[in-house]
This record gives sequence, C-alpha cells and structure tokens, in this order.
Amino acid sequence: MNFGMVARVIGSLLLLEAAILTIPLGVSIYFQEQAGIWGLALSMGIAAFVGVVLVSLRGTSSRLKNREAILIVTLGWFFTSLFAALPFIFSGSLTSTADAFFEAVSGLTTTGATVISDVEVLPKGILFWRSFLHWVGGMGILVLTLAILPSLGVGGVQIFRMESSGPTPSKFTPRIAATTKILYTIYLSLTAVQVLVYRFAGLDLLDSFIVAFGSVGTGGLSPYNDGFVRHSGNVLLLVSVGVAMIISGVNFSLYYDLGKRRFRQVLRDSELRLFLAIIATSVLLLTWNLLGNVYDTLAESAKMAFFHVSSVITTTGYAAADYDLWPAFGKGILFVLMFVGGSAGSTAGGVKVIRLLVAGKLVRRELDRLLHPKAASPITINGRVLPAEEVKGAVSFCLLYFFVFILGSLLISLDNIDLFSAVSATAAALGNIGPGFGAVGPMQTYAFFSPFSKILLSFFMLLGRLEFFAFLILFSPRFWRE
Amino acid sequence: MNIVIVGAGEFGSTLAETLAGEDNNIKVVDMNDSRLARLAGRVDVLTILGNGVQLGLLETLDMKTTDLVVATTTDDETNVVICHMAKRLGCPRVAARVRSPEYADQIGFFKDQFEIDFIANPELDTALDISRYVLRGYAAHMQSFAQGRVSLFDVQVSALPHLIGKRLAEVDFFHGMLVVAIYRDGEVIVPSGTTELRLQDVLYLMGKRETLTSFARELPNVGERHVTRKVMILGGGTTGYYLAQRLLVNGLAVKIVERSEERCNYLVSRLKGALVLCGDCTDLELLQDENLGEMDAIISLTGNDEENIMLSLLAKQHGVPKVVAKVGRSNFVPLVEQLGIDRAVNPVLISAGEVTRFIQGGAIASLSLMFGGQAEAVEIIVPEGAAIIGRPLAEAKIPQGMIVGAIVRNQQVLIPSGRSVIETGDRVIVFCLRNEIPALQKFFYTKKRGFLYELWHGGKGHRKPPTT
Repeated sequence: MNFGMVARVIGSLLLLEAAILTIPLGVSIYFQEQAGIWGLALSMGIAAFVGVVLVSLRGTSSRLKNREAILIVTLGWFFTSLFAALPFIFSGSLTSTADAFFEAVSGLTTTGATVISDVEVLPKGILFWRSFLHWVGGMGILVLTLAILPSLGVGGVQIFRMESSGPTPSKFTPRIAATTKILYTIYLSLTAVQVLVYRFAGLDLLDSFIVAFGSVGTGGLSPYNDGFVRHSGNVLLLVSVGVAMIISGVNFSLYYDLGKRRFRQVLRDSELRLFLAIIATSVLLLTWNLLGNVYDTLAESAKMAFFHVSSVITTTGYAAADYDLWPAFGKGILFVLMFVGGSAGSTAGGVKVIRLLVAGKLVRRELDRLLHPKAASPITINGRVLPAEEVKGAVSFCLLYFFVFILGSLLISLDNIDLFSAVSATAAALGNIGPGFGAVGPMQTYAFFSPFSKILLSFFMLLGRLEFFAFLILFSPRFWRE
Repeated sequence: MNIVIVGAGEFGSTLAETLAGEDNNIKVVDMNDSRLARLAGRVDVLTILGNGVQLGLLETLDMKTTDLVVATTTDDETNVVICHMAKRLGCPRVAARVRSPEYADQIGFFKDQFEIDFIANPELDTALDISRYVLRGYAAHMQSFAQGRVSLFDVQVSALPHLIGKRLAEVDFFHGMLVVAIYRDGEVIVPSGTTELRLQDVLYLMGKRETLTSFARELPNVGERHVTRKVMILGGGTTGYYLAQRLLVNGLAVKIVERSEERCNYLVSRLKGALVLCGDCTDLELLQDENLGEMDAIISLTGNDEENIMLSLLAKQHGVPKVVAKVGRSNFVPLVEQLGIDRAVNPVLISAGEVTRFIQGGAIASLSLMFGGQAEAVEIIVPEGAAIIGRPLAEAKIPQGMIVGAIVRNQQVLIPSGRSVIETGDRVIVFCLRNEIPALQKFFYTKKRGFLYELWHGGKGHRKPPTT
C-alpha cells in the first residue's frame, strides 16, 4: 500500500476544503458575526495546516491500485467530514463532537438531518457552511480535486467510479477531467438559475443560495426551525423547488446529451422514463389520499403531494408540511419512495432507479422462464445487453441495501424509541434523505439520539453516499492483508 | 490530441495505456464488451461498443475533429479499410496494423493509394530489433541512441559484488556513465544519490558507446567479442520468417525449427538458403542432433511464453552466447531478463513505441517502451522555448521519476550533472517513468503557462504535434 500517495491526495483535499471555507467566512464577515468569523477562520487554519503537512509527505507516486483508490475515497470522505465539523465546534454552535460530526456528515452526504433544535440563533456563516456542504458533497469532492490537480499524478478512473452514484459511471468524454468539468459546468449553471428563480420568488439572497444548495445537491438542511413550512403559501417557490429537485435527480449526462441535441436519446432513456413515471404515479396517489383527509382543495393537495414526492424521491428532505400527521397510506407512499432514490449519475441517493429497473427486469425474466424455459432473454437497458456482471452487481447492491437497512434499524432501536421511528431514521440516513417519521419526523430533530446512534447514523450516511461496497471492504481483514 | 483506437486487443490496449499518460483524448472501439470494461477500469479512456468498419459509427465519432485513427484489429484488411474510410471522412492522420508478410512488399502501395500515414507491423519491428542485437559484436545487450553515439546497458549488481550495500553517491566506479534506472523487485526506480544498491538489483547505465563497451568488456562473462555466424530460430511464425529473411541477407547460417509441415513448406519456398527443420521445438533430441550448443544465437519465437522461456534457459545452459525469447505478456519482460536470458522481446511493446513516436512527430527521434511499458526511454531534439532550456538541471525541479541520461551537442556526448544546462537543439535522451510522462511534456515541449491555464486545461497544456 502506497500510504504516501494516499496521504498526499487527502492533504490536497483538505487544502481544497480550507480554500472553500473562505466563502462562508466571507458571509460571516459580511454579517459581522464574531463567533462565525472566529470558528470558520480557525477551522480554515487547521485544515490548511494539516493539508500542507500531508501534501509535503514525500512518497513515490505509482500507478493507483484498487486498494489505494478505496482508501483514498473512504478516508477522503471521512477526513473532509471531520474537518467540516470543526466550524460547528469553534463557533460554539455545537458542543459535542458526535453532534458536530453528525451535522457535517449530514451536510456533506447531502442528507439534511440535523441535531440542532434551534438553528435560527446560529451565525449566518455557519448556516451557509452547512448548506454549502450539500453543494460540495453532491457532485463529489474527490473527483473535483483530481480534476483540478492533475499534478498529483493519480489517475482517477477508480475514484470516479467509486464516487459517482449509480452502477456504471457515465463518462461521456475520453478524459475524466473533461467529464468532471462538464458536470461541474452543468451543476454551476443549474445552481445559478435556481438562485435567480428563488430570489424572484421572494427569498432574500442568502436564503436563495441556501435553498439552491439544498435542491441542487439534494440535501435539505434549512436555516429555519420550521423549514419550508414558513414558505408553504408561496406556490411559485414550492413548485420551482419541486421541479429543481427533480432536475437534480436526473442523470446529469442526459443534460450533456441535450446540449448535443440528442433529444430522441434523452426521451427514450428508460431510467428517466421510469423515474418520471414513479413520480407521476406517486403524486396522483398522494393527491387522492390527501384530498379531503388533510386539504380541502385539489390545488392544495396536488401542490403538497408534488412537493413532497419530489423532495423524498430525490432524497432531499425539504418538508413544507408536517407529513407525519398525514394518513397512513400517504406516509406509506413517502416511506416507499425513500428507498427508490434518484437516477444514477445524479446528486440524489437511495437505491437508484436504474438498479430497481434491472432488478425488476430480472424478476420478469424469471417469470417468463416459467412459460418459455428455453427463451433467450438477456437483460437490456436502452437497447444495450447488460453483461451478467452488471446485473449481479445491481441485484447484490439491492440485497446489501436492505440487509444493512434491517440490521441498522435493529441497532438504532437500542435507543428505545418506537420501531417506526428507528426504521425510518435508518432509511433516511442510508438514503441520504434527512427527516423520517415519528420521533425523527419533519418537525423533529435527531438531537435526542445517544452519541453511539449519532455516530452510527453518520456512518450510514457515508455508506449510502459512497454506495456501500467501498466502505464495507475496509472492515474486511483481507483488505489490510497484503 | 483526439485519438480513436479501433480494437482493444493487446496492441490496442497497450497503445491506449501509453498514450493516455499524455494529453490525449482517447476513444477505443471494440466489439467485445468485457474487453472494453477491463480497459476502462484501468485507463482513462472512453470505450465505445461497436464495429469500427461501420460508416455510421465512424460518423458519430466525428472524424473531422479526430486527429488520428489507429486501426489495430486482428484483421489486416479490416484495418486498411478502417483507415481509408477514416481518411475519406476527414481524419488528417491514420495508422494501421498490417502484419501479414504477403502484404509486406505492398506497404508502399497501401500508403500511397489508401492514404495510410503509418503502417505498424509488430512482428517486423520485433524481427528488426532482434536482428540488430544478433548482428552486433557483443553478447551484452545494449540499446543505442543518437545514431549509436549513446548506449544503454544493463548490468546485474551481483556481477559487481563490491558495490552491494553502498549508496550511489559513494560509488566512485561508473566513470562517464550515469545510472538512470534500477530494476528492483519488479519495479523500476529512478535512483538518487541516496539509493542503496542491493544484490538482486539490475542497474541501467547510460553513457557514450565507447565508454560502455570498454566497461562491458571488463565484466566477467559479458563482454567477450563474439561474431555471430550460426543462428537457430525456434518457431517459424511471422516474426521468425521476417528475422530469418534479415539474417540471411546478412550472410548468416539460419536454422528454423517449425512444427507444422505446411508452414515448413511455405518457409522453404520463401527463404532461400535457410535450413528448415520440421519438428517439435521442445523435442530435445532433435535440438541436440542439430547442435544446439554450437549455435552463436538461439531465438525462441514460438507462440507459447513458457516454451520460449524453457528453451532459452536450456540454450543458456548449453553455453549459447546470445539467447533471445519472445514473451507475449508484456509485464513479464523484465522478469524474464532477470532469469539470465539475454533479451526478452515483446512485439506489442516494441511496435507501440514506434506508433507513439509516429504520433509525437518531429521532436522525438526515438522512443522505446521499457520494463513492460512501466517506463520510456525517449530521444528528443529540444525545441525552442521548452521549459527545460537555460536552467541548470539541479534547479529545474525535475520530478523524481525522470532523469536526463545524456546530452548530445555538436556531435559531442555529455553526461549531465546537476550543473548542466540544456540548450535549444540539443539531442537529449530522457528516461522517464510512465506516470511522469506529463512532466516530460511540460519540460521538453511546451512553454510554461499560468496556474489558471493549468486549472482549465487539466494541467498539461494543449500540444499540437510539431510538424516535420
């Protein structure tokens, strides 16, 4: 194992983190918040110092092996989260280490769960930092580092594969660096447009940014205690945030195709079609369930159904109403959507539509086999025959997801909360959604959990964001044996 | 540069891997999905599933924005057709792999009439490489640069026992030579003064040819002058055929052992003067009857690596001075040479080096892929404005994995030290590990650019190939 090289990549990651800390620091300086300035500047100094120490470690750079790539990705995310937690402590916003780590991981993995009951008293710079973490973590931090610092001499093929969401990375140019630049260009433009729209819909500039970070990165942390409920009357805002979240839940490479005028290819993309079909069906069912039971008018029911379906399926977690009070069927729809997640190559979490599509096709093939045992029926996606390896990968991911979910729920129930709260907290952490139901419902926080559960939930969020395998392999003794 | 490689076989993959280290956008087309997946998991290239001869596919690849197409499928005719089509669709440069000896004398016709700029023939390149070695006067293998003025020579530390355990800076032994690389435990190291020499190390020395030859002559069982007269080639495939042809022209006695009777008849009809023996290469009685031990050189070119290695070891045991084995798996090349076999050759690496040189164009006089592709030895005529010019090497911040082995200025060979300054027009021989190839470009081709430029262009700068 070439630890020198791993250390250098992680060092440059921390330097990048120190650099981006200047943005919330600017916010704090603008609002003249002593605590914020102090906390952010000190964290910046520490991150920069450790970064410089790690970068200056001399080591040979050699061809990146799988093992090192895994270590870079997992440790990279771990350390970025650790240093991202520092501002919360130094600014006095949070006192417990477990709380600060939870908050940082929740930001970076675009989960959006919080342990802070009263966020409105926090410095604006810290609130900005929380949400800015969504934006940074949504697209992936390591790929960005490798793309802008090719002098590290680390080829990013394996890292790109592990950090991007979904079974196969959508690389549409020969070089990863170029693909990353295009992805970030799309990402930046989406963010800019959304900031303008939200500003137009009546938010102030800081809130526009914070909401945009949440919707583009599919995060969901809010700078207000009541979250989106305060905006529940603002139809324009709710609809535009709802649409924005869905846009972020779509594979970003499709936007590249749109730019290249390959409209037909985009329209025929089977993952996109299924994603939109699931959304449409859920919105219809939820509207029907809400009408009369919760809201009196069709418009109100449809608005709320659309916003929350969009928020949960894209694993954002904004709530414009306390959906924990909705009828059981409505809650059930949202609970099921927690597992679906967005498309591969988006900023959303969850199982991912493409994997469900593969699993569904596999099940249908088994049924067909009963009728025609000899039928040749390879599994195809968009006309391409999937190799058996990819099918196995998708199905075993689904299995692993549910296995970790069940085991995780059991561990969280140690805190002696009601079972549905424990189950939904686990699902919300694994899927990077944020709020769940019951004790962790949209109007509640995760503050009451024991430090053990907080660390465990943070671990689930990282597991979900990095799609399990990379993180779990670290716990296998075989990984460390040469 | 935008490069399309058709065929993800061993040749195509090696080429993709070599070129991806530089500032190239590479797309690889193949009909085999799993082969593409393996390549994409290793190298930063875009893989495309499909048939490269299809017009539709070539059109979607947009030949007008492509700078180069290399066709490396197993089929010569397919490669020629792909290149011709690509050219017609507007691709400025095309290269094809054409291997069959039947086409060897119509290469000129292909180039003119089908407008193919470069024909790669791994088997022929390999045969030329072996014949150069066989025809040379010394048993020790030396690679030469700068029209033979500079040589690269490998020596095992075990042959110089008094050096074991010493740091390179303390060693006052290699006068007029530079240790450019050390092969240790399967890895290549570019040494510094603090590198300690170990028993199993193989040192790669660069220096003036005369210095190295006299150095080699001093070494036990390496340096005797030996004129090669009798050569036995085991395996009469394409490489064997090309090699026999070369050696016969130079007046050597050639025996070829080949299994297939049909192939034997073909060889007899095409190679006047060669003795073709129809039999199994691993038939020891046959080899002994044919005086294996009396040969000046034994070249094993069967299609089987294990067979080639065993036969070469056998030949070494019989005291044959020059033994060459063909090794199909490129990463085993340095390992095989450590076994005591004088030379292991890999057709794919040799030819990939040639194609890379063709792609780089003017400034590069020669390029050889060494250590199974882990490193390159490149001969560059330093162009005007290169970043390396005008500063002493010690201050140029050259990365650890790169070393300037020799400078040729006004026909004079200089062995560089930290104080040496490179000038425009110098011919330099640089030894460079694969992951430092971007640095090679930075120092020897492009001018220095600002940080923002690096940020946007991925740090390597965009380089058009210099035109000759």
